[in-house]
Amino acid sequence: MDDLFAPPGNDWRPVSPALARLRRSVLGAAGVVGLVLVVVATLLWSLPVLVWLPAVVVLLALLAWGWLLIGRNAQWWAYAERDEDLYVKHGVLFRAMVVVPYGRMQYVDVQAGPLEQLFKIASVHLHTASPGTSARIPGLPADEAARLRDRLTSQGEAQAAGL
Amino acid sequence: MSEPERPYKRLSPLTPLVRSFLLVVAVAASTWDDLLRGDAGPIAWLLLGLLVAGAVYGAASWLRTKYWIEADELRVDTGVVSRQSRRIRVDRLQGIDISQPFVARIFGLAELKMDVAGGGAREGSLAFLPLREAQDLRTALLARRDAVRAGETDRAEPAAATDESVGSGPVVGAVAPPDRVLVSLDPAMLVVSLLLSAEFGAFLVSTLVFAGLFVFFGQIVGGLAAAVPLLGGLAVTLFRKLSAYYRLTVSETPAGLQVRRGLFELDAQTIAVSRVQGVVVTEPLLWRRLGWAKVDVSLAGYTSGDRDGKPSTSTVMPVAPRATALWLARRLLEEAGSPDPDAVPLTGPPQRARWVAPVRRRFQPSGLGEHLLVSREGVLGRRTHVVPYARVQSLQVHQGPWQRRFDLADLRVDSPPGPVRVRLRHRDAGEARRLLDRANESARRARSGQLPGSV
Repeated sequence: MDDLFAPPGNDWRPVSPALARLRRSVLGAAGVVGLVLVVVATLLWSLPVLVWLPAVVVLLALLAWGWLLIGRNAQWWAYAERDEDLYVKHGVLFRAMVVVPYGRMQYVDVQAGPLEQLFKIASVHLHTASPGTSARIPGLPADEAARLRDRLTSQGEAQAAGL
Repeated sequence: MSEPERPYKRLSPLTPLVRSFLLVVAVAASTWDDLLRGDAGPIAWLLLGLLVAGAVYGAASWLRTKYWIEADELRVDTGVVSRQSRRIRVDRLQGIDISQPFVARIFGLAELKMDVAGGGAREGSLAFLPLREAQDLRTALLARRDAVRAGETDRAEPAAATDESVGSGPVVGAVAPPDRVLVSLDPAMLVVSLLLSAEFGAFLVSTLVFAGLFVFFGQIVGGLAAAVPLLGGLAVTLFRKLSAYYRLTVSETPAGLQVRRGLFELDAQTIAVSRVQGVVVTEPLLWRRLGWAKVDVSLAGYTSGDRDGKPSTSTVMPVAPRATALWLARRLLEEAGSPDPDAVPLTGPPQRARWVAPVRRRFQPSGLGEHLLVSREGVLGRRTHVVPYARVQSLQVHQGPWQRRFDLADLRVDSPPGPVRVRLRHRDAGEARRLLDRANESARRARSGQLPGSV
């Protein structure tokens, strides 16, 4: 397939499908709120069909588009652990891939907001001395996130290189 | 006062005066007249009262501030109301800079700035000391640091030496070899380079535009109101550069390269070569004919960039012949084996990149050398960014939708904050990926010490 984003030796490991489920749930909730608003507005001001029907159509189209986008985005997000570095790729429209050597890691963040906890996922964020390093893996199953964090920190300590 | 036996030293008693010199002058200037005439208004008295209170506070602060060297630490006790005691470990000192703000320079005083490893900003500073004392303390601290780092557990001897040198000045001299000046800035070249800079061009153009408008519309007053702030601002910027870079020299010291500069305000900055993250060589359009260039450097843990509109501290050499600039760049890249940035073969983006960057395509060559990643940018001025493999933090490839249409991609090198940004723009996508893997492998080898001079 794509030369640019070919797996670096190891295969890409995808993120959990729960990430797409979470984002689609949020999107769905927003869609429901939008529909309710349209219905309420229509009933309150007895809007003509020419106003509320296009609104509903646009809303549904946006929902469908977002639904697809979320799916593709979650499919593209992947990482590959190697002996000395971690590859992360993400983005559909603007594609990117970052390589972070374990020896360059300053610290690792694991985050899980309330919604993410509900879906039992967490995101892992690697930081180097450069603020430009954008190595974030969202939507990892909670135990996988913990495993990755432990492996990254132990590898980081073992291979640490100074500035 | 609980430790009267300490061999502590105090800052110069003039410190409070120097710190608030402008305020003192302003208050004195605005009130002496009234006071002499004996009809001082309440505001004059209030100002005077504030001044007296300030003087008392300053004196108390001076009395309470003490410093001394103790067991491989520089201790600084400060604070009038709440007391602080700061300990700076001698072996963690990266460099010590001496700077002389203008007012301090009038009184022959100097500030000692300690650059500490790991700290983002400068952690310690002693202001103000007599210049001689500051220099001696700097020498003593650096000698002490080297002794501690060399693992000399015998404390008695360096301690004695330090006490002596901190004591009363002229004993020092045996500790540090004399600094060797490597490059010094030619003042005439600095003036010419400023006259050829973009700021001066803007100054000239706006002066002409305003002059033309005056002549055309005859609206002198309104025109002046618009012109004065703009022209004044540009003139101040130019003058600041001139005064900041005046008499700049780069010299070699045991702690690294030292950059000394200044017309009114003297500044000395030490660059530990081991902390150099990358170099930028800038050649503005008008300098290219003369073959001049400017050298900037990224340092770890050094928040560079313009402080209060002053010229950037990342600049090592504001203008020099290109050969000298490149020689200096190689000197700064000593840790990577002093490779020559000019020796790295650079290739431009492929033909089809004209659909993505029609003009800039011709000005964005980049390449990987044996020890260096190099990229160029800038249509008018030319900036060459250089990072040694051993200093690569992480690597990224980016591909936008329009680039994907033409099978192009960017390769970016992430560096710590600083002026250096290596970007290999618009390379063939497959090639970008091969370059990424190759750069990653070279960086790995550089980290594990398989490239010469790497850490």
